[in-house]
Amino acid sequence: MTKPLHPLTMWVWSLVLSIGIVALDNTWVALATVGVAALVVYLRRDGSPWNATFWWSLRIGVFIIALRALIGVLIGVPIPGTELFRIPILELPSWMPGIRIGGAVTLERLSSSVHEGVIIASMIALFGAASALTSPHKLLRVLPVFIYEIGITLVIATSVFPQLAHSVKRIRRAQQMRGMEKVSLRSIALPLLEETLTRSLQLAQSMDSRGYGVSRRRSRYRPAPWLARDFYFVLTAVAAATVMVAS
Amino acid sequence: MITFSNVSLIYPHSTKTVLEDLTCQIQEGEMVLVMGQTGSGKSSLLRLINGLVPHHTGGILAGDITVDGISTREVKPGSLAHLVGIVGQNPINGFVTDIVEEEIAFGMEALNFAPDVMRKRVEEVLDLLSLNSVRNRTISSLSGGEQQRVAIASALVMHPKVLVLDEPTSALDPIAAEEVLSVLHRLVHDLSVTVIIAEHRLERVIQFVDRIIYIESDGETSIGSAEEILEKSTLVPPIIRLARALNLSEFGTSVREVRRLTSDVRNIEINAETHSRASTSPVIEVNSLHIQYGSDIALHRISTVIGQGEIVALMGRNGAGKSSLLEAIVGVLKPNAGTVRVYGGNPAELAGSQRRQTIGYVPQEPADLLYGQSVKEECTQADTQAGLSPGTTFSFLNRLVPAISEHAHPHDLSEGQRLALVLSIVLSGNPKLLILDEPTRGLDYQAKALFTLALKEYATKLNNPVLLATHDVELVAELADRVIFLAEGEIVADGSTLDVLLSSPAFAPQVAKIMSPQPWLTVDHVVAALRENS
Repeated sequence: MTKPLHPLTMWVWSLVLSIGIVALDNTWVALATVGVAALVVYLRRDGSPWNATFWWSLRIGVFIIALRALIGVLIGVPIPGTELFRIPILELPSWMPGIRIGGAVTLERLSSSVHEGVIIASMIALFGAASALTSPHKLLRVLPVFIYEIGITLVIATSVFPQLAHSVKRIRRAQQMRGMEKVSLRSIALPLLEETLTRSLQLAQSMDSRGYGVSRRRSRYRPAPWLARDFYFVLTAVAAATVMVAS
Repeated sequence: MITFSNVSLIYPHSTKTVLEDLTCQIQEGEMVLVMGQTGSGKSSLLRLINGLVPHHTGGILAGDITVDGISTREVKPGSLAHLVGIVGQNPINGFVTDIVEEEIAFGMEALNFAPDVMRKRVEEVLDLLSLNSVRNRTISSLSGGEQQRVAIASALVMHPKVLVLDEPTSALDPIAAEEVLSVLHRLVHDLSVTVIIAEHRLERVIQFVDRIIYIESDGETSIGSAEEILEKSTLVPPIIRLARALNLSEFGTSVREVRRLTSDVRNIEINAETHSRASTSPVIEVNSLHIQYGSDIALHRISTVIGQGEIVALMGRNGAGKSSLLEAIVGVLKPNAGTVRVYGGNPAELAGSQRRQTIGYVPQEPADLLYGQSVKEECTQADTQAGLSPGTTFSFLNRLVPAISEHAHPHDLSEGQRLALVLSIVLSGNPKLLILDEPTRGLDYQAKALFTLALKEYATKLNNPVLLATHDVELVAELADRVIFLAEGEIVADGSTLDVLLSSPAFAPQVAKIMSPQPWLTVDHVVAALRENS
């Protein structure tokens, strides 16, 4: 297994690259950056449950692109150009001026919506890559103690959410085995909510009774030093981003 | 070490006092058991010790609790972290980090210990709890017993003077439970740690404890030595029931003591009768079933047949494949090879009401099936689904647990009541087969006895089979006709309860250990054999 990077390295890397992407605003560069991020995740994955986060962020990205394209087709300013097809214009009441739903859909309008979607999705994918390679628990350890409440919230959210998917599966299976014809949202949500609440409370109690936040200073059992390779890793991102911003 | 003076506790929006006027002192190096019925306030009492109650839960606390001279009223739980180590009921819910070593160091980091002190203490505690081999593993990949030991290790590493444990063995198989308890025993004796423990399965802990705090249902408490408390109590382990049944003059809490007292009982001659069960028509037929997840083999080509009216217990370590087998039999898990037949059909093809009428299934967390707003709503729904006349399910439930309010929210029921509710709902479909996954976690002896009775009635009256996965040897001894023992995905033993339980000392129930080499598993067996003999 490769030695883990400093918990902040990937986050800084992603942050710098997303600044670059937004500044350059180019679909193909954005997609290429996501490709690089995917490669990094593939090379540095360590089999922890967080690794799946990147995959999820990609799915969310695709959903956002699709949604943005759909909205772009339905609502929006008419951009002149090659007309692809025309949908009927919806009559809107007089108190909603300046908004047009429907109308001519041009190639330019569609591509500009997709382009915006891709930029947003790339940023999400970059942060997905960062959280896929850095356990949020490790991140918590490098955060200063004075953001104690944020620390507790972060740990609870990041511990409870992966278990959430597991619980949903378990509850659904139990209800299937019971022979419930249709497993409704309500029948899953109620037991799930109850369990998640109990679990979060227990975790908060556990952190509290183990003295989290009592001392203003916090020592490190295994200090995570910022090494040369962390520096070079971030440097690549800074260089790439500088080129993007400058051009 | 710990002083309770006139402690009473009541939770907000509740009219029932959890504890009433508890006064006692617990000395250094003492091991104290807290016992009581399910939902009687054992956990509340434990969490009073480091101030989680009422600081985290709210509620009105009268009286005062001091730990090593510090009043829990005045400080937050965190300020007692160096003094009190607490291990909750489900340790997995309390883990803050991913890796064993980091988890153990977490508390020390929070209290700003020097790095060299931390290194030394982590090594110490890893050795003390034999966790060295798993120090770099992720916690979620450990077995239940190992997780429990990690939780104890991360409390112990702070060198607390008091260790508080809430049902530390309830989810563990007998061997893992013994491991955990022997560690506690060593801590008390070698390091003079004060240990407060709550546990339902008294048979596991009773021999180790010095004193018992018994919480009765109305919040009254009594404190005394194990013998004093158990003499009057209605919640007693088999070892005490045996002493009562045999009218022994003294009580003993360990197998060794009672063996000495009962040597004349054991020495009677009995004619070894071997009554083989009449073979019944098969209900569940499992034929070279093979299940694997990725490269992990869960079940390796197992075959077995379960016939009508049999009560079969499925035992084995955590992760031995019990749940996979149950899921395959119910038909929600597709086998990689082999077949499962239930009443001659493929269980995977059952759906809806047909499924409810064929297989009754009680999951590990009974609450998974409950989403109504009241007991009444759940019962009414069960009646309509099964086409029964209104009130049938509720009257059945009432027979199982009298005094259950139909307006109560399922969430507010005690563990035992909730299980009874789910069992009534499942049985309302009148299924021809009943399957239960670890049903008795968190049940006291009375609730377990009721539960045993209900299942036995179901099996004998309707001549239907019952299959249950469990770690509870005493329950198996009382209930099951046959035991299937799984290890590493294979059946290692399959036979009558008597044969399987007696063949392994770790899985033998308490009465069998006392009465060995006589083949008696329960108090009833002993009494029946003695009556026959006289």
